[in-house]
Amino acid sequence: MLEKERIPIEEQPGPKSKEELDANKVPFEEYCKKVFDPGNEFEKPVALKGVRWMSCTMYVFTPHAVSNLAELGAEVVKIEMPRMGDPMKHTSPFNECYYYPLHDERPMTGQGIGCINCNVNEYFITMDYHREEMKEVFYRLVRMSDGLTECYRPGTFDRWKQSYRYLQEINPRFIYVWGGGFGYGPKVFGGSYDILGQAHAGLASVTGFHEDFGGHPVKHTNWCIDWYSGTMITVAILAALYWRRKTGLGTMIEFSQVQCATRCLGYGVPLYGRFGIVRQRWGNWDTQLCVHGIIICGKSDYPDAKNPQLRDEARYVMVSAFQDDDFKELCKVIKREDLWKKYQKFKDRVEAEAQVEIYDALEKWAADKSRSEVVKILTEAGLLAMPVYNDKEVYESPHYRERGTIRWQFDPIFGDQLVQSTYSCGLLSKTPRRKYWDFRPVGADNVKIYHEMLGYPISQIEEWYKKGLI
Amino acid sequence: MCDIIWCKKCDTVNYLDPFNFWNWEGKIKCAGCGTVYYIHMIQGHMYRGPEERPGEEPDILPLYADKPNQGYEKILPGTPGKTRPYNCLPREIYLGRADHRKFSIRGYPMRAWAPQPPSAGIAGSHGFKWDIEKLSPEVWQEFLEKKKKGEVKDW
Repeated sequence: MLEKERIPIEEQPGPKSKEELDANKVPFEEYCKKVFDPGNEFEKPVALKGVRWMSCTMYVFTPHAVSNLAELGAEVVKIEMPRMGDPMKHTSPFNECYYYPLHDERPMTGQGIGCINCNVNEYFITMDYHREEMKEVFYRLVRMSDGLTECYRPGTFDRWKQSYRYLQEINPRFIYVWGGGFGYGPKVFGGSYDILGQAHAGLASVTGFHEDFGGHPVKHTNWCIDWYSGTMITVAILAALYWRRKTGLGTMIEFSQVQCATRCLGYGVPLYGRFGIVRQRWGNWDTQLCVHGIIICGKSDYPDAKNPQLRDEARYVMVSAFQDDDFKELCKVIKREDLWKKYQKFKDRVEAEAQVEIYDALEKWAADKSRSEVVKILTEAGLLAMPVYNDKEVYESPHYRERGTIRWQFDPIFGDQLVQSTYSCGLLSKTPRRKYWDFRPVGADNVKIYHEMLGYPISQIEEWYKKGLI
Repeated sequence: MCDIIWCKKCDTVNYLDPFNFWNWEGKIKCAGCGTVYYIHMIQGHMYRGPEERPGEEPDILPLYADKPNQGYEKILPGTPGKTRPYNCLPREIYLGRADHRKFSIRGYPMRAWAPQPPSAGIAGSHGFKWDIEKLSPEVWQEFLEKKKKGEVKDW
C-alpha cells in the first residue's frame, strides 16, 4: 500500500490506543461466560473428530479412559459380551436401582447405575471376539480404527491373536492400550480393583486418621483410583496420537493401575528414600499447615431430616487459617488468645501436639453451633471456611449450576438424567466436552456397526445373533 | 474389637461398637434394666469402669444388646429408649428389591420401571429416541397431568 493511501489511525475503526483497547474489553467474568457458554456445547466443534476407537473394556477404570475420548468427539465402539454386557451394568447399587431393563429377553432384570459416566457417547455392539468365526470381523474393525483399549489379564489378547504384536501387522498406525492391575512383572496374573490400587500403592496407608485417634487406613468410598487411572490412560493416548502424527506409527500402551496410584503418594516415596521415614496418616488435618483441616460441629444443619446422612452428618466444616494473621484472628474468634500467644510461629503450631490442642479447642468452640453458623462466623471474620457438602448440597450449589457442572439432561433412551461427569472435567472455549447419551443397551448398535459401517448383510447379523456370536 | 458392658443385674450384654467408644468417657444406659454405667476408654481399652451411676442421665445408648443366658433374647438397634439406631448405612432406605420409578426428582419421565414393552430390533439393536408417547402413553399422560399441577420443575 502506498503511503498516501494509508488511512490515518484516528480514522480507522476500533480502539486508538492500548488504553482504549483495554477499556473496551468486557469484564473478565462476562468474557468467560461468553466464550465457555455452558449449555451450548453442541453448537461447537469437537476436538477428536475423525478418531475411531475400539473399547473392549469393563467396569470403570479402562472404560473411563475411552469415555474421555468419546466426550471429546472420538467415535467409540464399545464391544460387549453377547447377552451379558459389561459386568458394571449389573452392579451398583445392588437390588434397588432399576435403571433400565437390562435386555428385552430379561425385562424384569434391572440394570444398575454404576456404569453411568463410564461409557459416554459410545456405540454399543456385542461380539464374542475370542471365537474363531468372529476374528475376521474383529480385524476389519481394527483396520478401520485408530486404536483399542482392553482390560483382560496380560497376554490374553495375545493368546487370542489380537494383541499389539498381531494388530500392528494389519494396521501399523494402530494404538493399543492394555489397562489392568499390575502388568508384566512378578504379579503378572494379578487382577485389578480400585481398592487394590489404593492398598497396593500405599495410598490407603496415608489416608484416614491414625490409630491413636481411633482411625484406620481408609479407602475412598468411591472408586477414585479407577477414575484417576482411566484419565491418565487418556493422557497417554493423546500423546500417542500426537506421536503418530509425527511418525505415522502406532504405539502400545501398557498401563498398570497400582503403578499409577503410587503417583498420589506425593513426597512420601522421596521422603523415604532420603531419610528412611515412613509417612503416617494425619486424617482430616494437614502435616504441613495448621489450621488447615476439617472439624466437627455440634449441631446438624438439618436437625429434623429423616435421612441420617443429613440429620447427623451435616456437621463438618473445612477451616483454613494457617497464616499468622489468620490464625491470630481465629484464636480471637474462638476466644482462645492464649493459643495465639503459645503458637505464634507457624512451625510451632504445625507440630503434632500443637495440632491436637488447637483442633480440640476449635471443636469445643463449635460444639454448640451448627455447621452453617460456624461457616458464617468464620467467613465474616475473613477466614476460609466451607461446609463439607453431600450429594444433595452439590446438586443445590449455585456455583455448579451456573458453570454447568451439574445439569439435567434428557437421555434419548433412559429419559431424565442428572449428569455431572462430562461437564466437570474442565471447560474448553473452542471444543468443549459434551454428552449425547450416557450409554446404550447391550447390542444397541449391532446393525449400525456391522451392517451400515462394515457392510455385512442383515441375514448374516441375524445368524451371528442366533449362534450367540454377537 | 468390640467391648461390652455385661450388666449383672439383668444379665444383659450391652455391645459398644469400637469406633464410637475407642477414646470415650461418659455414661451408657443398660438396654435391659436401665442402669446407668460410667466408662472411660482409651485406645479401645477400658481404663475406668463400668461403674454404676444411679440417678444420672446417660450420654448414649448401646447399639445392640442381648441376653445370652436367657435364650439369646435380642434388643436390636433402634429399639426406642433402649438402643440407639444404626445410622451407618450407605443409604437411608433399603428396600431389597427393584425400586421402579417413572419420574425423576424434578418430575420428568425416566424409563426405569418394569415390565416395559420390548423395544429392541434386529440383534438387540435400539433406536436413538425413546418415543415416550408411543411406547408408554400412560406415563406421558401422567407427565402432562403433573405438568398441569405444577409438579414439574427445572431443578
